[in-house]
Formats: sequence, C-alpha cells, structure tokens
Amino acid sequence: MALSNTVSQKAKLKRKAPRSFLKRVFKRQKPHLRLEARGDLLVHLNCLLFVHRLAEESRTNACENKCGVINKDHVLAAAKVILKKSRG
Amino acid sequence: MADSYSPNSEPTTRTLLRRVLDTADSRSPRRRLSVRAGTQRTLPETRLSWRLRSQTKPTTKRRSHGTRSPGRPAHSQARRHLEEQTPRTLFQNILRTAPESSILKPESTGKPVPAPTAAQPPRRESSRSSLELQLPELEPSTSPAPALLAPGRRKQRVRLSMFERQVDQGQPVAQEPQETADASSLTSSLNLNFATPLQPQSVKRPGLARKPPPRRAVDVGLLLQDLRDASFAPTGNSLRTSVTTVPTDTALEDTQPFSQPLVSHSPAVPHFLPHPSHNENEDAERTVSHRTQSSQLGLQSDELQPWPAATPEVTEAVGSQDAAEAEELDVPSGEEDPSDSTAGPEMASSNPRSLQAEQPPLFSEPPPRPDATLRSSQAVPARPPPRHRAAGHRPRPDPYKTGLNHYTKLFRFYAKMPMEKAALGMVEKCLDKYFHRLCDDLEVFAAHAGRKTVKPEDLELLMRRQGLVTDQVSLHVLVERHLPLEYRKLLIPCAFSGNSVFPAQ
Repeated sequence: MALSNTVSQKAKLKRKAPRSFLKRVFKRQKPHLRLEARGDLLVHLNCLLFVHRLAEESRTNACENKCGVINKDHVLAAAKVILKKSRG
Repeated sequence: MADSYSPNSEPTTRTLLRRVLDTADSRSPRRRLSVRAGTQRTLPETRLSWRLRSQTKPTTKRRSHGTRSPGRPAHSQARRHLEEQTPRTLFQNILRTAPESSILKPESTGKPVPAPTAAQPPRRESSRSSLELQLPELEPSTSPAPALLAPGRRKQRVRLSMFERQVDQGQPVAQEPQETADASSLTSSLNLNFATPLQPQSVKRPGLARKPPPRRAVDVGLLLQDLRDASFAPTGNSLRTSVTTVPTDTALEDTQPFSQPLVSHSPAVPHFLPHPSHNENEDAERTVSHRTQSSQLGLQSDELQPWPAATPEVTEAVGSQDAAEAEELDVPSGEEDPSDSTAGPEMASSNPRSLQAEQPPLFSEPPPRPDATLRSSQAVPARPPPRHRAAGHRPRPDPYKTGLNHYTKLFRFYAKMPMEKAALGMVEKCLDKYFHRLCDDLEVFAAHAGRKTVKPEDLELLMRRQGLVTDQVSLHVLVERHLPLEYRKLLIPCAFSGNSVFPAQ
C-alpha cells in the first residue's frame, strides 16, 4: 500500500517565481485592477527577460571599458538603454 | 486433527500453539469446554496455521468444515471469549517465538469457507482473521475478499511486527467490546485502532516528514505580546530575558523530531534582535537567548527551506560573534556599504517591526537582510533603532526589497562577472522603475480592452511591444526557454486524453 512506502514529495522548484510578491506589488500600484492567476507568471517571465537584458547590456558596457568588474556606471548606462527599450 | 497433543504433520508451530493454548487455558474457564470439543483449538490453530504455515488445502478445508459447523452452535459463547482473548495473545506468542519466515501458501480457499457462513461467531472469526490478514494492509473491512487475502499474506511476513503493535493497540480497546460480544462493534473498534497506526508510521520516519506541525500559533501570539510589551529600548538584557521566559516553555514543549533543526535553523531571524546590544553582553547569554528566541521564532516560520542555506552561515556567525564574518559567508548579500550605513538604523528598526508583523516574508528572505543590518547596527548605536518598533511597522520596504533581491540575484547570475555592491543597488532602483512602468502599461492595455482585469493577453501584447515576442519568436517559445516545467505546464495549453485541454481556454 501507498502508506508505508511513499511520502508525497513536492518537486522543489529551483527557480521559483515570487508570485505573492508580484501580486502584492501590482496590488499596491493599481489597487483598482486585478491580476489573473497565470498573469503573474508571465510578469515573472517579463522580469526575467528584463533582468537578462540588463545584465547583458551592463556586461557589454563593462567589457567595453575594459573593466573586470561591473560598476555602478555600467549598470546605470545599461539601465537607461534597456528601460527605454522596454517602454511598451 | 481435533485430537489434542498429537503432532500430526508439521510439528513445530502446531505443537507450539498447542502448548500455548494449554498455557492459556487459565484465562477463561469456558476454555475447558472447547478443549473437550477440540474444535476451537483447531480453529485458532487453523487460522494461525494459515497465517504462518503452509498446509495442504484439503486438510484445512476439512478441518475448517468439520470444526466450524458443529462448533458454532454449541460453543458460541465460549468460543467468543476464547477467540477474542486468546488468539491475540496466541499471536503475540507466536510472533515472538515462531519463525516468521515460514509462510505462505495463500490459503484463500480455506478462508472464504468460514466467511460465507453467516453466523456471528464465524463472522467474528472471519472478521478477525480478515483483520489479521488485512492489518498489514491496514484496511479495515469486515468481509474478507479472497482477492485481498492473497496479497495480504505476502505482506504478513513483513508486517507481523506492525501487526503486533496494532494488536497491542487494539487489545486494550477491543477488550471492551468483548463484553458486548458484538462482531460489528468489535470489528469497528478494531478497525478504528487500525486506522491510527498510520500516524506512527510517519513518526517512525522523521526524515521524510517535511514540516513540523503548525501548532505554534498561541506561542506566537504570546511572543508578539511579550516583544511589544517588553521594553526593548535600553537594555537588550531586559528584552532577552523577557523573551527567554516565554520561549523556554515552547522550547521545552518542542519534543518533535524537528526540535533540533528548528533550534539550529532559527538563530538567523532573532540574530538582529540581540545584536544591537550584542557587544555589551556575554556570549553565553547571547547564545542562550539566540537559541531560545530562535526556537520561539523559528517555530513560527513554516518555511524551513530557506533556513538550511542560512543556517551554516548564521550559526557560524553566532559562534564567531562577528557579523562581518557572517556577511562574508553569505555570498548573495544585496546590500552596499554606504547604503547600509544610512539604511542601518532604518533596517534595524524596521526589521524587528517586520519581525513582529510579517514574519513569513521576512523568514523567506535570505540572510543578507539580517546580516546587513547587523553590520550596520553595530556601527550605529543600538538604542534608538529598537525604540522605533513601537511606532508601528512599515511592511513595504522589507518585503519589497526582498522580492527585488530575488531579481537582483538573478541579475548577478546572468551577468557572470564580478559586480560591485553599488551596482546591485543600482539594479534594485532599475527594477523598481521597471515595475512601475509595467503596472502602468498593463493598466493601459487592460483599459484599452475594456477590462478591469489584467489577462495574459495583455502581457503578451506588452512583450510584443517590448520586442521580446516577434513573429519568429512566440510567447510559448519564451515560456519554454526561461520558465521551469511546472510553470510551463500552467501556461502553455496542452491536450490531454478525454478531449480535455489544460489549462482551459
């Protein structure tokens, strides 16, 4: 029987989306709007892609300046570009 | 076979049983009647032999036939007592002495013979035998199906010890219905007993159980009250003593197998509580207070998952009495030095407040938060920050920063280059702006569609406008690339059997 052998194991998600955090942020910003159940996963996806692009851009900036370390300025410049790009 | 004391075929268990039965004679005087008849002895014998030994089917059949039919009307009452008391003890004796390995030809043909005979005693017998057999499966059912018996027997070998335990459990309860002599009640009572052993099984394997039972709510309330009532400000001693008095009870109460992990895990959160007055007090006090506070507070948190990551760092920090070390250990620290010094008092004040108010989000936060505040609070005088706690909590910065930290870590990972701490703060600001813009855009899109709910279509439109989703690259492709499988299953509709699509569209 199942009792002795198995204990239900929830697979541990390595890259969990902070769903409650995203929902809370959206609610704080726009309390009159509602976010759907799967919408926050897509928001998370959007954030991932944004962060990815930001990281790539800042890495490019740092390499152009021939720095081994990503600086604040690199990130700042990258942010300007990427935020403009993801204006929507 | 009804003759006594003649070891016919298999000597060992049968003679053993006979001996046992004879010794058990003293229990009920009515036993003598059955002894004379010889039927009842064979009845438990046959049952036992079915369980423990393989015998020839026809012999058992014959025996069962011969014994059951005459025995039933004559010695119903006697047998009731006999079979209700002795077989259990018999089984116990057998289990202790007889070799368990010698089973098991499924004597299922023998079993249904008593079962269909619908008189009460045989039903009891059969029910008991069924219970005996089905106990390993922990399925209380009064009518033994032959199909069940066969697989049940296979497990008898393994589960005999379990059965013994269940029998022991069942015995004190089952003795009551014996007086009532009601088969259904007996079986039901026994059935009830058999339901409970499910729990001990889980307790036997503490490693498999994930979370401690959530029964700390009351203590949480007490702790919160104590935290609020106690004067945090001047002396950390007073705080600690006031807190220690409460948690000691819970620490003592906590006899679960998770007591140690909790104690070891939890020092992370109250870390920043005693740390403001860290320098003034002895190490012993600190550690004791840490443990008690942490046990108290750790009990509150249901999320133990972040702790294993936190514990090695935090425990080392406790032992090293230097928060800087903890910070070094803690790799993904999202705080910068300048921002720490400025945000230090804020963090220290807001952290205890948030501790009171929102422990789960704080607990879910990885250690950089308390460690950073520790560093900063050491530089800043400790007295003023704890006083702010009474003013009320500001939940926004901390859980907000926690969530942002999540993405900051991802930034760090994607960058693949060493980064400055200042750069991470910059990233947080960018993320903040980004979230604002995101919400605005989504609002516009939803309003454009005449909706008040933001739907995935709006998200897709947003990504298309951002240039992430093109004609070549669809949203599903992006989902498959970047999200884990569990989320993919939720987002991408897939057809299943039975003409169903999940998620429904």
